[in-house]
Amino acid sequence: MIAILFLLARRLLTALPILLTVSILMFVALRLLPVDPAAMSMPPNATNEDIAAKRREMGLDKPLTTQYAIWLRGALHGDFGRSIQLRRDAGHLVTAALPATIQLALCAMVIASVLGLGGGLLLFHLRGGASEALGDLGTTVLLSVPEFLWALLFILLFGVLLPVLPFIGQLGPQFSVVRVTGFLLIDTLLAGQGSAFASALAHLTLPAAALGIAFSPAIMRVLRSGLLDVYHEDYIRQARLRGIGEGRILIVHALPNAILPTLTLMGVQFGFLFGGTLLVEVLYSYPGLGNLMVDAVRNADLPLIQTVGLTYCIVVLLIGMTVDALVLVLNPRLRAR
Amino acid sequence: MIRRLTFNLAPGRILGIVGESGAGKTMIGRVIAHALPAGFAVTGGSLRLDDDNLVRLTPARRRALLGRDIAFVPQEPMTALNPVMTIGAQFSEHLKRLGITSRRTRALELLDAVHLRDGAALLRRYPHQLSGGMCQRVLIAMAFAGRPRVIVADEPTTALDVTIQARIVQLMAELQRNAGTAMLFITHDLRLASRICDEIVVLYAGRAVERGPAASLLAEPAHPYTRSLQLASPTMTGPRRALLALAHRMPGLLELAGMSGCRFAPRCPIAEADCLTMDPLDRAAGPMRVAACLRVDGAHRIAVSGLPVAPAIASGKPVLRLHDASKRFRSFWGATGTWAVHDASLVIGAGEFVGLVGESGSGKSTVARLIMGLERATSGRVVLGDRDVTRASAADARHRLHWAQMVFQDPQSALNPRRMVGDIVTQVLQAGRRPLDRTRRMERARELLAEVGLGADLLERYPAQLSGGQRQRVNIARALCAVPRLLVADEIVSGLDVSVQAQLLALLLRLRAERGIALLFISHDLSVVRHLCERVLVMHRGDIVEQGPTETVFASPRHPYTRRLLAAVPPDDPALPWQPFPDEAELMPPAGPPRAAVAVPSR
Repeated sequence: MIAILFLLARRLLTALPILLTVSILMFVALRLLPVDPAAMSMPPNATNEDIAAKRREMGLDKPLTTQYAIWLRGALHGDFGRSIQLRRDAGHLVTAALPATIQLALCAMVIASVLGLGGGLLLFHLRGGASEALGDLGTTVLLSVPEFLWALLFILLFGVLLPVLPFIGQLGPQFSVVRVTGFLLIDTLLAGQGSAFASALAHLTLPAAALGIAFSPAIMRVLRSGLLDVYHEDYIRQARLRGIGEGRILIVHALPNAILPTLTLMGVQFGFLFGGTLLVEVLYSYPGLGNLMVDAVRNADLPLIQTVGLTYCIVVLLIGMTVDALVLVLNPRLRAR
Repeated sequence: MIRRLTFNLAPGRILGIVGESGAGKTMIGRVIAHALPAGFAVTGGSLRLDDDNLVRLTPARRRALLGRDIAFVPQEPMTALNPVMTIGAQFSEHLKRLGITSRRTRALELLDAVHLRDGAALLRRYPHQLSGGMCQRVLIAMAFAGRPRVIVADEPTTALDVTIQARIVQLMAELQRNAGTAMLFITHDLRLASRICDEIVVLYAGRAVERGPAASLLAEPAHPYTRSLQLASPTMTGPRRALLALAHRMPGLLELAGMSGCRFAPRCPIAEADCLTMDPLDRAAGPMRVAACLRVDGAHRIAVSGLPVAPAIASGKPVLRLHDASKRFRSFWGATGTWAVHDASLVIGAGEFVGLVGESGSGKSTVARLIMGLERATSGRVVLGDRDVTRASAADARHRLHWAQMVFQDPQSALNPRRMVGDIVTQVLQAGRRPLDRTRRMERARELLAEVGLGADLLERYPAQLSGGQRQRVNIARALCAVPRLLVADEIVSGLDVSVQAQLLALLLRLRAERGIALLFISHDLSVVRHLCERVLVMHRGDIVEQGPTETVFASPRHPYTRRLLAAVPPDDPALPWQPFPDEAELMPPAGPPRAAVAVPSR
């Protein structure tokens, strides 16, 4: 337990400079763009003097370092500036959109884990047999299709050709749900709206499946090779020599060891998966961070881009931290020091 | 692979299967476990455990017998326990399968029986928190838990330190005696086997060449191979004699197919023409003794004589001086640290062979690393020839090249698998400011290979195509390339069979006679050190606790630790009792900075 707290503390300490660096990089990069936020935030008939005044008001005439310092001071107090386009607090916009994306990402992670671990076990089971090559071919195909292509394929297959699942938005238009947590699956249940829950789930299925399936093959392969390695270990042979059955050897002895490298990989994969939500959200018009980001980029909405970008960074860091803590829980050898 | 192997094992008896690597001794355990490598099968014969023929069992029946009636003690205790399960979980899994209900009580009883203290705390630990000896005790406790009819122990102490080996072997014998279990003890160590086994079968290339009661077999080997094994092993008492270095090596699996006569004949010192064509059948060789040899009464004719050691070349100039050298590894917070080596002083003269003995963790290898500049000394001085190389700078490294070279323990991993032998041994000529061209390097490589007794045909081979002994010779050849005055050899024969070991020891002695090379020989094997080195240093937890002429130190050790090390080696004479020191320190891994309590006796 102490080891886990120690790890989390250390990871938090290293996360701070990472976040700082990312925010500086984004800040500088965004200011290099040939766009003028002041001009964009004014009505089209504003004069040059008005714009200059606005620029002074927004602090854009100050040196870049001062601008960054002002932004950082605000950010530390929870003020991420106002969206130029939407004229609302950027922090609020992000917290409104974040639950939807997290919900999508979590469902996709569950699907990726189930497919990945199940597929890994299946591939391991096929080892040495004639169907091993078939399994290899299958994972290669899965590996070579990116998540947005799955998203398009699913829209065509299950949305257009066989119209069985919705593929626009996150809820049917006939429902309205009171926002409590922001997670639709939870809010519909809290409100006791069974049919709204079913609708939200149906809307979630295709995008989550597209993301999950895209990130599962790497997990399959690592689990398979992990199991192959573990089965060469002395403790597996020794367990067999104690007369322990093959089923128990797989579940109790091999899997808890083989899962460790797999988990580490899943941490990396889920970081990418969270980034992958962006394109999938756009394709499914899913009202999450991704669409917010794309709109912000389209409108050169610098404060919003900065805030959403930083949010992606924080979530990816959190995912990594969670997986590291989980590996620590499952691997006693790491807890030694 | 294995042909016509016959043995009987009665309840309460221990049968030793002795052989070098490749003899097929591990295969016997695998036949019993029904875990043969791919491509192998039992083609004939039977292996009976009471009414069951172990060769033809249904999988269900086999599984029912495993763990319950047949138990295994593994070779590598550290890796034979599941690293993510506690000792308690693994214990209780096993006891549950055996149908034992009061599992915790029984587990504590069993741990007590293998002399592990504080069993309750131990059950909560994970394998990596235990020492190798403790892991092996746990595995032995598990093996005996079901009161099995037979226990198969395959090299159960090879991976352990000598003092722990002695105690584990005696523990197994004690438990076996008390439980009346039959035990199959598989080992490469004839002397160890003769200590605990009632009967011994000697295997050579898959053939049981000799079997009989342990004591009489060791006292009077009837088969030339057994006799050769004995003569190839250095002794701890009596005058030092040359070792019998059998030529060639044991035939491998592919060569066996074409052999019609005795499998040992090509290496046998007393073989005659008919040995190569006639398959020798088992013949009586004394009371209860059987040997598969056409000349059963001829083994005693094999002998070696003469002193092994060309006297040290006297020279005033020391090659290496270590002056109060210490190495401390700092802990994470930097406040405290562990002294891996503490105030080690040592002088090696030209042509002098010095042994450095001690158990794993005693700091032997760190001394080697300090000399080679792989670690920088925390304090003290390291002097090679006339240059102080303590700082381990780049200039020091260039100087060191021609003064000291190291040979590593594992010949396989010390050689780059993607380079050819010729390139490996002349690596040093390829680097630096003036690299030599390939023709010149190959010329030098040929010389070097000849020097270590290898043919020029190996120049274009890859390490994977060599045998273990050949690989270690290549390692030595590489170390010789820059003509160093000192070789630092870290356990270079410990993974090798005795006949190959004898060849390598002879090579080292020849190198000294021919070029006056000095040697720091790091080893846990006291008999090898006695054979090779005039002087010995004993290390214990970072301190050199005793040093002096090998004969004096071994004959009248002063430091208690030296006495303990010596007691761990079974006496050469089977008639003498073997009573190793009990050692409480092994029961818990050492904690805190290791410092010996007793001052270094000066000699």
